[in-house]
Amino acid sequence: MKILIVEDEIELLETIVSYLKNEDFICEKATTFFEAEDKLISFKYDIILLDITLPDGNGIDLLKLIKEESPTTGVLIVSAKDSLDDKLTGLDLGADDYITKPFHLAELNSRINSLIRRRKFEGDETIQFNEIKINPTSKTVTVNDKPIELTKKEYNLLLYFVTNKNKVLTKESIAEHLWGDNIEMADSFDFIYTHMGNLRKKMKKLGAPNYLQTMYGLGYKFAEK
Amino acid sequence: MKLIEKTSRTYLILSAIIFMLSGVMLYFVLTTVMNNRLDKKLLYNKEVIAKHFKYEYPLTIFEAGELTESENKMYPKDTIVYKDTLISHAIDDIEGAEEYEKYRQLTAYETLQGKRYKIITRNSLVRNQDFVLIITLSTIVIILLLLTGLWILNTQIAKNIWKPFYKNLDRLKNFSIQDQNPIQLEPSNVDEFKELNSSLKNLTNKLQSDFNSLKEFSENASHEMQTPLAIMQSKIELLLQSTTVTKEQSEQLQSIYQAGQRLSKLNKTLLLLAKVENRQFSVQEEISLKELIERQLENYEDFIINKKLKVTTHLSDTRITTNAILADTLISNLLSNAIKHNIEKGTIDIMYDGEKLLFSNTGSILEQDPENLFNRFKKASTLKDSLGLGLAIVKKIADVNNWSIAYSYESKVHKISVLFKT
Repeated sequence: MKILIVEDEIELLETIVSYLKNEDFICEKATTFFEAEDKLISFKYDIILLDITLPDGNGIDLLKLIKEESPTTGVLIVSAKDSLDDKLTGLDLGADDYITKPFHLAELNSRINSLIRRRKFEGDETIQFNEIKINPTSKTVTVNDKPIELTKKEYNLLLYFVTNKNKVLTKESIAEHLWGDNIEMADSFDFIYTHMGNLRKKMKKLGAPNYLQTMYGLGYKFAEK
Repeated sequence: MKLIEKTSRTYLILSAIIFMLSGVMLYFVLTTVMNNRLDKKLLYNKEVIAKHFKYEYPLTIFEAGELTESENKMYPKDTIVYKDTLISHAIDDIEGAEEYEKYRQLTAYETLQGKRYKIITRNSLVRNQDFVLIITLSTIVIILLLLTGLWILNTQIAKNIWKPFYKNLDRLKNFSIQDQNPIQLEPSNVDEFKELNSSLKNLTNKLQSDFNSLKEFSENASHEMQTPLAIMQSKIELLLQSTTVTKEQSEQLQSIYQAGQRLSKLNKTLLLLAKVENRQFSVQEEISLKELIERQLENYEDFIINKKLKVTTHLSDTRITTNAILADTLISNLLSNAIKHNIEKGTIDIMYDGEKLLFSNTGSILEQDPENLFNRFKKASTLKDSLGLGLAIVKKIADVNNWSIAYSYESKVHKISVLFKT
C-alpha cells in the first residue's frame, strides 16, 4: 500500500511516517506543493494524506490534480482549519475524508485503513486478527467462526483496536473515537473501562485470549502477549 | 425628563416668577398712578367747594358743624391731608347687610371768609382684592397661553428637529458591535446633531473595526496553535509506543499529554466560538430538531445511563432552518450541560413545540449569578473537566440566529429555553 503524505510541518510529517511505517504501508513524503505535484505526476499512490495549507500553494488545487491523474486514489484531507467551506470544497472535489489538527495518530491510522477498505475492496474485506474476524460491511464479528454479539460501541472499540494493533492507544484517543471530539465529559474514561470489560468477557467466552492490555492507566494496547 | 421638557420647565418657572413679581409691581404702580389721578380730582373738587363757600355762602346743602378744639389746634393753618379710608354703606339688595368700601379721602382745613372750615371730599377706590384678583387672573391666563404656546412649539420642534435624534438614539440602542454593516444615522441640519452623528459614526466604525481585528486575531491565533499542538500530541503518542518507557516516565508523559489535550480542546472550542461569531457557518438548511435530539441522546447514552438519569422528551416534528453544524453543536452542548450538572438519578426533560426548545434538568442551585451563566469561563460547578464554554457557545449560536435564550431555576429544576421565533 503506497501512501503519499503531503505536509509542510516536517516534525509532524516524520511522526506520521514513523507511526504508519510499522503497518503494511510504504510512505512517501512531500513538504511542498511543488514536490507533491512532481511526485503525483510520476508515481501512483493508493492513499494521499493532504494538508491543504501549503507554503507554496493550496492543497485544494492538488486535489483537483489527483482526481485528474488517478481517480481511484483515496484522499484524506488534513487541515488546521476545520471551517465548513474547506471541508465542503474538499469533499465536493472528491476527497474521501477530512481530519483536523490536532489528531490522534491512532485515529489517523484508523481513517486511512477504513479508506483503504472502502477504496480497494469496496468494503468487502474481512479484517482478521488471529481467531477474530471483522466484516466492516455487515459490522459483524466472529471469534473462532462463532458470531459474537457486540454493541455498537464495543464493535467500534474492537475495530479501532484491531486497526491499531500493537499500539498503545490513549484513553483520550479512544474516547474521541467513540463519542466524537466535542465530547467533554469527565466520566468518559470510566465508560471505556466498562466497555473494555464487556468486550473482554464476550471474547473470552468464545475462547479468544485476552489481547487487551492495560498500559499504566494511560491507555490500552491490543496485542498478542 | 427630556431636554426639551427640562428647558421649557425652567423657562416656565422663571416666567412664573417674573409674572408674579411684575404683578406685584403692577399693583403698586397702578395704585400710585390711580391715587395721583384721584388726588388731583379730589383737590379739584375741594377747590370747587371752597369756591362755593367763597361766593355762595352759605351753602345749604352742607351741614356745617363746628370744628373741634383739637382739630383747630392740630391744623392752625390751611392744611390738606390725603388718606385712604373705609366707609361702610348698606348693600342695596340685602337688608341690614353692610359692606365696607375703600375710599380715597381728602381733608382740607381752610379759612374761608374768615371762618375755619374742614372740607372733606372722597372718591371710592377700586378694592385691593379686585386689583390682586385681576392681576393674578391675567397672570395665570398669560402663563397658560405661554404653556400651550410652548407645548405646541415643543411638539413641532420634537417633530422636526428632535425626530432624527430619537431615531438615531434607537439605532444606537440596537447597535451591535458584531454588526458587519456600519451604523446608518438619520441626517440632521442642526449643527450639534451633525457633530454628534459624525462622532458617533467614527466611534462605531472604530469599535467595529477593532472588534473585527480582534476576532480575526483570535481566530488566526487559534489556527496557528493547531499545528504545534498536533506535533506535541503525536510526538507523545509516538513516544508512548516505545517499549523502553518506564512506568514513571509514562506517568509524566501522561500528564504532559493530558495538559496538551486540554489545551487542544480549549483551543478548538475557542476557535468554534470565534467562527460562530464571525458567522462562518452560513449554509442554511432545514433541520429536524427531533432527529437531532434523538441522535444526540443516543450519543450521550452512556453518560445518561451512568448517572441513572430519566430522560423524557416531547418533540414536535417541526423543522427549523439553520446551519446543521450549529444546530448540532447547540443540542450537544445543551444536552451535555443537562447531564453534567445533573444529580444522580435525576431527570432530564426535553420539550420542543415548534417554537420553543426547553431543556429542564434536576440539579443543585447555582453558586453564581445566573446572569453570568452564559458568559465564557463562568463555570457553574467545580467539575475539573469542564471548560466553562458550553453555554457560552449555546448563547453565541442563539445570538447569530436571532434566537432568544433564557434560564430559570424553580424547585430544584434548571430550565434553559431557546425561543426560535423572535
